[in-house]
Amino acid sequence: MKQKLIIGWLYPTLMNIYGDRGNIIAIQKRSSLRDIETEVNMLDLGFDKKDLGQCDILLMGGAQDKQQETVAKDLFEKKNELKNMVENGIPGLYICGAYQFLGNYYKEASGNIIKGLEIFDLFTENPGENAKRLIGNMIFKTENFGKIVGFENHGGRTYLGKNIKAFGKVIKGFGNNGKDKTEGAIYKSSIGTYSHGPILPKNPKLTDYLIKTALEHKYKQPIELNKLDDSLEQKARLAIAKRLSVGI
Amino acid sequence: MNFLILLFGKSLSKLSKAFNLGHGSTWPGHIALKLNPNFTNQLLRKSQTKIILVTGTNGKTTTAKLLETIFETAQKKVFLNSSGANLLNGIASSIILKSDLTGKLNYDYAVFEVDENTLPQIVKKIEPDFIIALNLFRDQLDRYGEINTVAKNWKNAYQNLSKTTFILNADDPQIAYLGENLNSNIAYFGLNDKKFEYATQQHAADSILCPKCGNKLTYDAFYFSHLGKWKCENCKLERPKPSLENFKYYPLLGTYAIYDTLAAILTAHKLNINDEQIEKALKTFKPAFGRQEITEFNNKQVQLFLSKNPTSFNESLRTIAGNKAKHLLLILNDRIPDGTDISWIWDVDFETLISNDIKLYLAGDRVYDLALRVKYAGISIDDENIFEDLSVAVAKGLAETGKDEVFYILPTYSAMLEARKILTGKKIL
Repeated sequence: MKQKLIIGWLYPTLMNIYGDRGNIIAIQKRSSLRDIETEVNMLDLGFDKKDLGQCDILLMGGAQDKQQETVAKDLFEKKNELKNMVENGIPGLYICGAYQFLGNYYKEASGNIIKGLEIFDLFTENPGENAKRLIGNMIFKTENFGKIVGFENHGGRTYLGKNIKAFGKVIKGFGNNGKDKTEGAIYKSSIGTYSHGPILPKNPKLTDYLIKTALEHKYKQPIELNKLDDSLEQKARLAIAKRLSVGI
Repeated sequence: MNFLILLFGKSLSKLSKAFNLGHGSTWPGHIALKLNPNFTNQLLRKSQTKIILVTGTNGKTTTAKLLETIFETAQKKVFLNSSGANLLNGIASSIILKSDLTGKLNYDYAVFEVDENTLPQIVKKIEPDFIIALNLFRDQLDRYGEINTVAKNWKNAYQNLSKTTFILNADDPQIAYLGENLNSNIAYFGLNDKKFEYATQQHAADSILCPKCGNKLTYDAFYFSHLGKWKCENCKLERPKPSLENFKYYPLLGTYAIYDTLAAILTAHKLNINDEQIEKALKTFKPAFGRQEITEFNNKQVQLFLSKNPTSFNESLRTIAGNKAKHLLLILNDRIPDGTDISWIWDVDFETLISNDIKLYLAGDRVYDLALRVKYAGISIDDENIFEDLSVAVAKGLAETGKDEVFYILPTYSAMLEARKILTGKKIL
């Protein structure tokens, strides 16, 4: 029987400001090239908890502040379900605003504190309107996926707690806070990161990890994915690496 | 003081032009404002010239050019700031250039396209007779921040402009909302035509929450991106009724250009220019630099469609598909004027807008990202049609374009300038 993955796209109409839709496209494409069927479950405002539970991979992108507030209200109602999925090892990718939101809290420039979902042990602070946004092409090194090439654009600075590991170490760019060289966070099979780009098309190892982990979790057996021709992906990575004088 | 500034500014502009130093369009203004920060107010107060500001993410240059053509046809004297010089120093420069040495402007109208982010600062220095607000799309997020912030700054800046008439796009919720509680004359333009409607919203749509209460908006019709017949079920804010919804002739292709045309016509109506003159003007209209501009090269037609964000890229692709294009060059640069973040290409609907009949050529600083986007859209592309060198791409595309065909080019901003230079500089072949 053909294998099938259900991709849960959290708030596709509200949390898709930086082309993060490309991550969904990448998972779908790389699955279909291996004859794995995919279905995208659009989990928009007011979605049913049951629909979340059916998903094999979760993705959530960043948004504008106003849209983020609306989403926060909705997602708090489904906090326990999401937390259980993360704890159970359902792979997920949470970008920028979504990454911050999974943490303990977000402190706005005004000092006002917005509660997070407390799934990732981290917090984020916005140092004020006069502090510069952290913007630009970035490269960071991860333990299992090699060097990740992306683009960051965030005002908030994120600091990791004791119970979570950084996703990678910054080689070029700012990362979590522009100071401690950490970038993103990884907990079980869930990854939070500031990297847009979008991140998955140019980092096929990471895309394949999400696919493989989702399949193994679903079918309870080891999975080996066929190798694909990634020469174009490599060229796109190289173009940025060369510009930032980083070997890849 | 202003006399000296004018004398100096005019000479500087001449010099930099003569020696091809570039920046001729912004330097004089930059220096003038340093010497006298109130320079623009003082000069504009001396003249009877009516000031029209055009702002928005897409269509500023085209709308300004449409107005210029309409005014000229109506035998009025008009001047514009040069395209791209749309910050305060660029506007001040064009005023220096066009005024006489006493500081008087002998023009009926000045049409200035204004960068959407600097508009709040500009209206502190220039009180306009008209502000035309076209739309607000995601464009260069790396430089401008998020569109809600831009809209909020606009709304604050507009509160003090009691003498200004606002020409607003009713179909763009953020723009229409600018009109609420404004103590000024307001006129809305918008579409009302089944043939422009889409069944569903496009992926590039940005502004779908109510600008007033934050609730999700509902739409009776989508025209493109987030533009359409919208309303908020929660706070009952809804699209205002436009006073202009159509015209008998449109000089440019594509829904987005129809909005620009309606904006220009509505402004002309407010200035008592009649439909007969407007139609006559539109029929002689020549597109601005790179905006559907047609050039000839070795007896072949080349048409440039500046495509700088998902919305304009989608609309350009749609327009070209409607023209049964056979040869299409896409160019993606990521320099400052293009925006350094190229993630928006993943919001372009390549999947549905590029048919198998089109032969694609790809180029630009980020050509491999573009190639990756195209590949993941399921469109096959040969390695030999992916070019690191733009002039080779242009040469090949032109060579393969037949005599009766058009070679279409969709470039980002800096790529448009480059492509244009190649086509007019006769460097290739």
